[in-house]
Amino acid sequence: MANHKKRFTVGWLYPDLMNIYGDRGNILTLLKRAEWRDFEARLIELKRGTTRHMDEVDVFFFGGGQDREQALVYEDLIEHKQPPLERAVATGAVVLAVCGGYQLLGHHYTTAEGERFPGIGLIDVTTEAGKRRFIGDVVVDTDIIDLTPATLVGFENHSGRTFLGPGAIPLGKVRMGFGNNGSDGLEGCRQGGVVGTYLHGSLLPKNPHLADHLIRTALRRRGVDDLSRLDDSVELAAHDWILERAQRRQPARARPPQQSHSTPASIAEKRAP
Amino acid sequence: MRRTAAVLAGKATAALSRMTRRGGGTTLPGDVARAIDPDVLRKLAKDLSHGSVVITGTNGKTTTARLISWLLEGAGHRIVTNRAGANLIFGATAAALDSAGADGRLRADWGVFEIDEASLKFAIDEIEPKVVIVLNLFRDQLDRYGELESIAKKIEAALTTMPDGGRALLNADDPRVAEIGLNQPNPPLWFGLDDTSVASRELPHAADARTCPRCGSSLVFEAVYVGHDGLYSCPNGDFARPVPELTATNIELGGFEYLAMDIGGTRFELQLGGLYNAYNVLAAYAAGRTLGLEPAYMAERLREFRSAFGRQERLEFRGRNLNLVLSKNPAGFNETLRTAVDLAHGNSFLIALNDRKADGTDVSWIWDVDFEQLRGKSHVVLPGGTRAHDLAVRLKYAGVDAMKPETDPGKALDVLVKATPEGETAHLLCTYTAMLDLRAELVRRGWAKPYWET
Repeated sequence: MANHKKRFTVGWLYPDLMNIYGDRGNILTLLKRAEWRDFEARLIELKRGTTRHMDEVDVFFFGGGQDREQALVYEDLIEHKQPPLERAVATGAVVLAVCGGYQLLGHHYTTAEGERFPGIGLIDVTTEAGKRRFIGDVVVDTDIIDLTPATLVGFENHSGRTFLGPGAIPLGKVRMGFGNNGSDGLEGCRQGGVVGTYLHGSLLPKNPHLADHLIRTALRRRGVDDLSRLDDSVELAAHDWILERAQRRQPARARPPQQSHSTPASIAEKRAP
Repeated sequence: MRRTAAVLAGKATAALSRMTRRGGGTTLPGDVARAIDPDVLRKLAKDLSHGSVVITGTNGKTTTARLISWLLEGAGHRIVTNRAGANLIFGATAAALDSAGADGRLRADWGVFEIDEASLKFAIDEIEPKVVIVLNLFRDQLDRYGELESIAKKIEAALTTMPDGGRALLNADDPRVAEIGLNQPNPPLWFGLDDTSVASRELPHAADARTCPRCGSSLVFEAVYVGHDGLYSCPNGDFARPVPELTATNIELGGFEYLAMDIGGTRFELQLGGLYNAYNVLAAYAAGRTLGLEPAYMAERLREFRSAFGRQERLEFRGRNLNLVLSKNPAGFNETLRTAVDLAHGNSFLIALNDRKADGTDVSWIWDVDFEQLRGKSHVVLPGGTRAHDLAVRLKYAGVDAMKPETDPGKALDVLVKATPEGETAHLLCTYTAMLDLRAELVRRGWAKPYWET
């Protein structure tokens, strides 16, 4: 009987090393939402040294890691994963990359010392190191067509500043938070089937509409036209809770930006080691 | 004298803070006193007739500090300790102030301080401890502390500044702690568990330190005790768990009520729960031995030990037993869940998640907790706390049939009690401020003492 079920395959790039911000939530959301629609959902873990079954993956996930882990996956990414990943995207597979994964898929990352690390150039973005770390809730207004609600919510924690080239379009505009670089008001990127973003939290559990968008896009090449509706009341309640809190906090944030040196240092700041 | 002024100002602040019911005055007095005399803690620590013990690590600091204080107090020593989990340098200062006399002098034998991982450097510099314990390093509050690696490097650098005669006691089972210890100029005293019958063979998802510090290969685990703490080695032979001098063997676990183990040929039996507490007991034993306490005395004394505020606390309430357990990161949460579900056969749960500064404002870590353990095994699972809705989503994807989320702590308590049959136990697994909220609600209803009195 299982043979008659349609398959949906998630490929997790470096699940053991790039998993710092609760990224399992994104994986679980993709798998469960396919299962609930009676797909045979399966997960392929793409650790270092393996490219097995990469050609069967519908949605790849590439999360964030600590510097030490990021350095460990770097060589493997370029040596082993890049060619099959490029082939997969060219044939309609989808990639969701968050934080460190997002940066590594771009052209390059420039450190504070000016050292440049090439990425794999799957998306037209570049990243440079910034001084201040951007930490906190994010609300994004997205212009992905047919996405209801038209907001995405998440949490960001990054010091990289990412800038889009002409080949990429933003995932959305930042309503609250910093987004790609804290200066142009944009968050994330889209290019072909690749979505890059700084949002974790995890991203997909509170944004089931984005999860479905990724699943739907990836399954189009398998002849699946639409997905059945699910009851998303629990997920959207969590989504709306963040939106409502953002609205309550918004008046304070809408003031013109203050110069940091004019802000009196609080006790909490002084405590920071 | 500046120090006397600092001490008196600090003490006055503490009194005011208590009077105005702003809390227990557990850190603010430290701020005030240090503003007057930045060296106040250094001076007070020198008054201690025997010296100090400092405990750091992600999980278990409070319980281990309580265990060591309990042992030293029982041996007739006067103790200064930062009790209420106020573990920044300000909290340690406030604790010292609290015990100082009107002349600004501290009359005590030992200081026992739990210190936040990031503050260890300052603690070693100012307190000059005889013993420093590093329990473990798990991912915790990334928004506040940053990455595990930077914390580990800070601890490693801090330990190299240990005073002469000071001893580092390190958990050999934690690969990242082991790496810290192997890089020290002076060899540490290693402790670890040695009983694979209580171990699992698989790393949980939330494991962090799983690569070899030398060659980068993924470590191979023969046994996993808690989080990524276990029996590990590098497949290329570049790195392995240091052989511990002190081990716990023949470990016996009995829900939240009973924990037993052999250490150095002596049987220890405690009214504590969970394998994670085996590490805390072993660390306390290691400290006790280093400070000259006898094993037989320690075994006797620890039988009477009671756990710290909210770490594992039982309250009776309308005929139900409430078991309050602080659960604040994936490694700790997985262990409390395992203890509550598998060992205590828990049927009723309130899981409360807050996202205030002290809890960590980023709640994504709940996706690293194996809530799947609750699936099909418990009747009542109520998501609570400010981020109850996020928990509800997590539980849904774990396949757990949870109740409607309840963000209000009072209402959550009411729902929980109503859903829990009389005579049964409800487990309240909470992040730090979620526990304070529930505790405050209980105090308001007259069920427990405020936390600065415990």
